[in-house]
Amino acid sequence: MEPADMTNHGDDALSSRTGAPDGDDRLSEDRSLVQQRLAVRELIDTEVSYLHVLQLCASDIRSRLQQLPQGDLDVLFSNIDDIIKVNRRLLHDLQETASREEEQVQLIGNAFLEFQEELEQVYKVYCASYEQALLLVETYRKEPELQREIQGIIEAVLPQAGPSGLSFLLVIPLQRITKYPLLLQKILENTLPDTSAYAVLQRATSALQDVVTNINEYKRRKEVASKYTKVEPLSLRERLARINTHTLSKKTTRLSQLLKQEAGLVPRTEDKEFDDLEERFHWVSLCVTELKSNMAAYLDNLEAFLRFWPQDCNLEIPGGPVVQYCYLARDLQLQAFPEFKQQLEAQVWQPLCSLAKTLAGPQNLIKKRLDKLLDFERVEEKLLEVGSVTYEEEAARHTYQALNSLLVAELPQFNQLAMRWLGQILCTFVTLQRDLAKQVLQRAEDSLAQLPHHHLSEPAFRKLVEDALGQTSHQLHSFQENFEKVLPPPTTQPLLPGAERQVQALLSKYGPGKLYQVTSNVSGAGTLDLTLPRGHIVALLQNKDTKGNSSRWLVDTGGGGHVPLRGQKQP
Amino acid sequence: MRSELEPQLVWCFSESLHLSLREPIRAEVRPKKTSLWLAQIPFKIGQPKKQIVPKTVERDFEREYGKLQQLEEQTRRLQKDMKKSTDADLAMSKSAVKISLDLLSNPLCEQDQDFLNMVTALDTAMKRMDAFNQEKVNQIQKTVIEPLKKFGSVFPSLNMAVKRREQALQDYRRLQAKVEKYEEKEKTGPVLAKLHQAREELRPVRDDFEAKNKQLLDEMPRFYNSRLDYFQPSFESLIRAQVVYYSEMHKIFGDLTQQLDQPGCPDEQRERENEARLSELRALSIVADD
Repeated sequence: MEPADMTNHGDDALSSRTGAPDGDDRLSEDRSLVQQRLAVRELIDTEVSYLHVLQLCASDIRSRLQQLPQGDLDVLFSNIDDIIKVNRRLLHDLQETASREEEQVQLIGNAFLEFQEELEQVYKVYCASYEQALLLVETYRKEPELQREIQGIIEAVLPQAGPSGLSFLLVIPLQRITKYPLLLQKILENTLPDTSAYAVLQRATSALQDVVTNINEYKRRKEVASKYTKVEPLSLRERLARINTHTLSKKTTRLSQLLKQEAGLVPRTEDKEFDDLEERFHWVSLCVTELKSNMAAYLDNLEAFLRFWPQDCNLEIPGGPVVQYCYLARDLQLQAFPEFKQQLEAQVWQPLCSLAKTLAGPQNLIKKRLDKLLDFERVEEKLLEVGSVTYEEEAARHTYQALNSLLVAELPQFNQLAMRWLGQILCTFVTLQRDLAKQVLQRAEDSLAQLPHHHLSEPAFRKLVEDALGQTSHQLHSFQENFEKVLPPPTTQPLLPGAERQVQALLSKYGPGKLYQVTSNVSGAGTLDLTLPRGHIVALLQNKDTKGNSSRWLVDTGGGGHVPLRGQKQP
Repeated sequence: MRSELEPQLVWCFSESLHLSLREPIRAEVRPKKTSLWLAQIPFKIGQPKKQIVPKTVERDFEREYGKLQQLEEQTRRLQKDMKKSTDADLAMSKSAVKISLDLLSNPLCEQDQDFLNMVTALDTAMKRMDAFNQEKVNQIQKTVIEPLKKFGSVFPSLNMAVKRREQALQDYRRLQAKVEKYEEKEKTGPVLAKLHQAREELRPVRDDFEAKNKQLLDEMPRFYNSRLDYFQPSFESLIRAQVVYYSEMHKIFGDLTQQLDQPGCPDEQRERENEARLSELRALSIVADD
């Protein structure tokens, strides 16, 4: 977009006509003054009508274009509200200068110098989205019904828009910003060179020229960047389609160039400045991606923690610390912790994800730059050998240079912004931890106050608990022992085979009352002791031995002699 | 294990239980004849006609035992959940430490003093919190989980004791049935001898059952009630451990927040800040629009 290309049909219809000067030299000074005054008038008057049109667009026309989706309107009108704000203030300052006749020109110069930065910022954004806006306008044009409606609305508000309605309106801010240097130049031409006013105005004029240049540059960069940063999901077919002989040859050429570089056959284009930037960017990416995955792990663990509800147990204990704890834990689990998790997700996790996504663009560009660099080097080589290069090869060089300058210009900013955001995210993480602790404490301290020993210091309490648990541990032990004392009942065991006759013999000899069954294997120790298997039937002769010891009984086994034996027996 | 006889039987059979006595009603008995009366296997013998354990006693027993079975289930569940909860707590703390550790090992720390300072402070805080968390978990282990385990370890003994009582009851029933069988028969000499024998056999078994029954009926409620005093200190300790930990956490992160010079701000403001940061980045040409 160059100033010379823009047609001023918008301006012409609204501005006052300048008078045609006659070429009388004697009155040149007076004429200059008159011209100057006229030029100043033109500046201010056109500013007034420009602002008026903008306001009509932003309010009347935009609000009536209801059939278009909000997203479209945002693209079409972009930041027109911001432009209006800035220009309104500029106009106000310009109008104030009217009262200060002698210094007016200087004040105008000052005003533009003051607004230079803001104008650049605000028109830069508008300009960058202008191309997209035009695309939208094209799509509308393809739908005759819609086109008619839009045209109707515009003509109702601004009849001078003419048949090209929407595109006519949208280009107006672009025309204006490029007009400023011209308008200022006109005033400058008719100002005496020695005056301080001249110096200021000259600075202002070149400043506004810079603004236009910067806006152009910004637009160009955005175009280059958008070509390479798109991370589109390609289908397999699309991917295959992209691999044609051209790209294949490009890739193989690059690879061979890279190999040549690695092998030292070709000097690598050293660019320390870029390498440092790239290294730093690499660390920044590492920082972001590591933090993101660590945070994901933390959130997973938090989720796992929230799944367990020990407080749901029911010990049938009606009051006291057990109940206190259950209330407290339930409260925390239902409120404090879920809130913490939610805030963590919204204020730490989501921003981290967004930050991580922004890494993709620069990463792609860096890769593309390297590719183009290899192409560029090959072109340089060829130039040396052959003396000329094709048009496409030249284009590779330009693309490399564009990418390189783009990255060198913007990577430092990216790194700085990314790190700043990262720092803020970490601080939020810390603050949320503190807030969680506060929430839990508030509730826990309430519970604490109702505990029986809340007045005790922590060490004293711990000693108390230790003692209490020691005591109850003994008590439990005694319970256990008591239960274990409930011994197995006397059970009759199945008889060993062949024992039936023996049993009958004993039975007839002694009677059933004296018959006992051995419940567990008995092994005799001394020479007079018997060894008997379990289940063996014996007859009791005496339930104590010769020495009166009742743990050894004298029995008749129905076979051998009478010998004392030890062991348990059941009747 | 219930007796299968008619409801109008109310029994007392020994002085130790002090209940009133009534006449038994005859019911069908299915005795099984085996060659060796000594080798009879209990489960094949028929049921006695008498209801040897009164319904009220049986009901009491079942109620008390039932309560204890519930308690066993609940304490086991509590122990498991408490363990899982503390494990998850430890995992969370460890992953927090990893966050700051990885940041500290990034080469950016060498280039950027401010970043280094922030990350060092964060790392110190996380490590301290992890230490406190470990202490908290240790305290919980000592004063809650261990005692729960000890409490739970009594139940196997209890369950075994209840089983033995049941076995004793079965034996008692079996022998009682046998006595009744002989009592029904025509009173001949051999029958009387056998009856006498059977009664002799019955007596110790009955005494044994009664002893077991009484012991359990005494001990079970006592054990059940012991939970009241037993658990209160544990839970008190649990609450206190939380207070100690979160006090430290509040202090440490409060200090860190001040050190990082980030005042607390409401959620909407933070959201706006995040949006602003994202817009700044998106304004760069090198950042892809999505």
